[in-house]
Amino acid sequence: MKAIWSLTGVLLFASVALGQADVKPTPAEARITQARGAIEKHPDYYQAYNDLALALARRARETGEPSHYDQAEEALKSSFRLQPDNFEGRKVQCWLLLGKHEFEKARELARELNRRAPDDVLVYGFLADANTELGDYPEAEAAAQWMLDLRPGNIPGLTRAAYLRELHGDVEGALELMRMAHDQTDPGELEDRAWLLTQIGHLHLVSGRQREAESALTEALHLFPRYHYALGALGTLRMEQKRWAEAVELLETRYAVAPHPENLYPLAEALERAGRSREARKAFRTFERQAVRESKGNDNANRELIFYYIEHANEPVRALRLAERESARRQDVYTLDAYAWALQANGRYREAQSQIERVLKAGARHPLFQSHASAIAAGLAQRASR
Amino acid sequence: MLKPNPLATITVLMAAILAVPSGAFAASHREAPITALDHKADITDFFAFVSYDKPDKVTFILSVDPLLEPANGPNYFPFDPNVLYAIKIDNNHDAVEDVWFEFRFTTEIRAPNVFTGFVGAGTGIPAPGNSPPPVAPGTPIVPPAITALDGPGSEGLNLRQRYTVTLARRGPGNSVKRTRLGGHMPLFALPSNVGPRTMPNYPSLFKQALYQVGHDVRVFAGTVEDPFWIDLGAAFDSLNFRTTGFNVPGVLSDAQDADDTRNFATDAVSGFNVNAIAIEVPVSLLTSDGKKHAASDPKATIGSWGTTSRQRVFVRRQPTTAREAQADDAWRQVQRMGNALINELLVGTGSKDRFSMDQPRNDSRFAPFFLDPLLARVLNAVYGIDIPAPPRNDLLPLVTYAPPIAAAGTPAGPVADLLRLNTGVPPTPVGKQKRLGLLAGDPAGFPNGRRLGDDVTDISARVVAGVLNPSFNKAPNNRIGDGVNVNDAPYKNTFPYLGLAWDGRNRRHLDPGEVGGGPVN
Repeated sequence: MKAIWSLTGVLLFASVALGQADVKPTPAEARITQARGAIEKHPDYYQAYNDLALALARRARETGEPSHYDQAEEALKSSFRLQPDNFEGRKVQCWLLLGKHEFEKARELARELNRRAPDDVLVYGFLADANTELGDYPEAEAAAQWMLDLRPGNIPGLTRAAYLRELHGDVEGALELMRMAHDQTDPGELEDRAWLLTQIGHLHLVSGRQREAESALTEALHLFPRYHYALGALGTLRMEQKRWAEAVELLETRYAVAPHPENLYPLAEALERAGRSREARKAFRTFERQAVRESKGNDNANRELIFYYIEHANEPVRALRLAERESARRQDVYTLDAYAWALQANGRYREAQSQIERVLKAGARHPLFQSHASAIAAGLAQRASR
Repeated sequence: MLKPNPLATITVLMAAILAVPSGAFAASHREAPITALDHKADITDFFAFVSYDKPDKVTFILSVDPLLEPANGPNYFPFDPNVLYAIKIDNNHDAVEDVWFEFRFTTEIRAPNVFTGFVGAGTGIPAPGNSPPPVAPGTPIVPPAITALDGPGSEGLNLRQRYTVTLARRGPGNSVKRTRLGGHMPLFALPSNVGPRTMPNYPSLFKQALYQVGHDVRVFAGTVEDPFWIDLGAAFDSLNFRTTGFNVPGVLSDAQDADDTRNFATDAVSGFNVNAIAIEVPVSLLTSDGKKHAASDPKATIGSWGTTSRQRVFVRRQPTTAREAQADDAWRQVQRMGNALINELLVGTGSKDRFSMDQPRNDSRFAPFFLDPLLARVLNAVYGIDIPAPPRNDLLPLVTYAPPIAAAGTPAGPVADLLRLNTGVPPTPVGKQKRLGLLAGDPAGFPNGRRLGDDVTDISARVVAGVLNPSFNKAPNNRIGDGVNVNDAPYKNTFPYLGLAWDGRNRRHLDPGEVGGGPVN
């Protein structure tokens, strides 16, 4: 999930190269300018630095450019120098921890902030996020429910509830809430809307409604051209349609915008399907090198790396070692599924089954989970008949 | 294969979208930001007292929807059919409700094409001789004046509300037994007092809105004059009270303090109405063993509070089986009130919503607000008044079962904001009641329950300033007050004790500078 933060520069360079000086600023760019202006006027007012940090974090999401993220941390430092431990700054800090995938630390901070101000809807959002990522779904659900209870219909509450609905297998219910969130969003918030449309497209895709998915994703790209999340989802749609060449093109663009290993892995798979095996092999090798390099960090591509070792490199032992390490850190359904798949690849069917059962117990109806569960069950049956 | 949702990114959405106004309470009664946005569910006051004229009964009153301007037609202010109003009672000192009453309203529009909720005059007015066609002269135009809630005389009651009352009791194994009180008899809420042409005999309508509903229970619901009184503007202008009895702002002179009949500052709630639900219940229906007990018996003291709730939107669209089994979970509590002014004066703004939505049994999380109240420190800072050092155990009688309200030996229970009432303490007769309640030696007054005429503003401020601790029961701590000592309208001496709603045509509000309004500065 490094995609959120990592480097690209492509967009920036492109606009500079084309001399698009009059290009309208994105919502995040506008906020960065505002915050910098406020700091110039009142350099001793801490809140302006919080605003800048948040705007930079927003920009990081728009572009996948991590230097914004470092700058955000710098801005926060100034804020805390002026007003130690200020609440708004601590909230931004929590947000940054989530972005860095330091979920345990983020959860700890969110709990502390929740004790300080139990009415803060955003802090419940942090609790929901951290717990979802760590796989503590009951606590995530409780936090999301508080969001909906405190401010019925608030957008961050809706998006989190939608994601939990999806995780628990209620895709239609998730769609309903994402649509509500989208309809409430200010039309000027182009990237927010593109993000919500991407989620809507994804949910249609999971339900097998390709036409609706296509329309949502196309609209997202229209609102926010070259939006990396939308490119990824549309690439997946093209793969499902077996339109390999177009899938390659989309995923190539996405990787150019947000060059993270987890974005390279599906591209390599698409290249392979498209019959471009030499390029695919090269892409897989680059992927492995990059993924291994960041494997020990919190923000990694370990899940893709596990699948790579199993599906493409025939190294099940390495896959399992990695899966064990990752599942010690977080127990979300995606990590547990990868762990189960690694156990199965090593012939440890019974343990694989117990892990995949934990995934299915949450209710998630992801096609991948289902196919893994069937394969594991078949493996067990085969062993029993031997 | 789709990647896991980039969940962490959702967070960004919040910055732009969730700017919630803070400290947006315009009235004492809009204490929590969320209720400031939801007037219909906003509890203004909660009262519980042994009925003045019936010592074997307790009256509970729940007022909602603050600062109703009596002239505000055409629809005035009905109850919200989507809100569940409840009055809850703990009788075994664990801060969990054992007996409670639920009120639910429905609205009917009886003449959809009439332009106002209420209309009527005399015996009705037909179209006159110069009526343009197609309406023929003599055609009934204005219905007769509203003189009844149902049947003849009720034709002009276009917008009418009915309600139901449900008695719920917790039984063995945490089971809940619900009984609809009054069976299927129609209960009508008393409408706003529109004015003398439309409602020439409002007191008669008021009487019609009183119902016996079985179990020796009486109920009333409707619009009444707001029984609360306070110099709201001064209180929330950082305690900028108008009184200067001790040459210190916010402190009454002995003479002012002793006068329970006059105001020395503006009652900011004067001339406003409120929607109220009142219920009179035999003590035997409330106590844990169904008996009335002497004041010295721990079983005599009950804790009560009022709540408002709305239907909940769940994270999960299809609730799990366990949740389905819990019907009560389908409601989201919007607000609650036990003691007066707790949420307004003590709970921090960043915790007010959480407080409103939480259950009293979980109140230990708010104990720091109760037992080292910032208000006391503000009094210390603004007026230089000495205050006790924390932990403020002198405040425990407000948030636990403790003497002087509960009998010695009563289990204290958890820290919880309940309005505690010793049902064994006989009521003080009307005319002898003291506005300062317990502090003035009137044992049947706040904080032993709360009567309409108890001056909870002055009492709370003094209690927070430490007067329950003998070494702080001295001037100026025991003379703090807003200068509003009495309501702007008389209360009734019998159930439901509430005063008649101000009529819209003749309503007025008192201002500083006029008689009874206190000084401008």
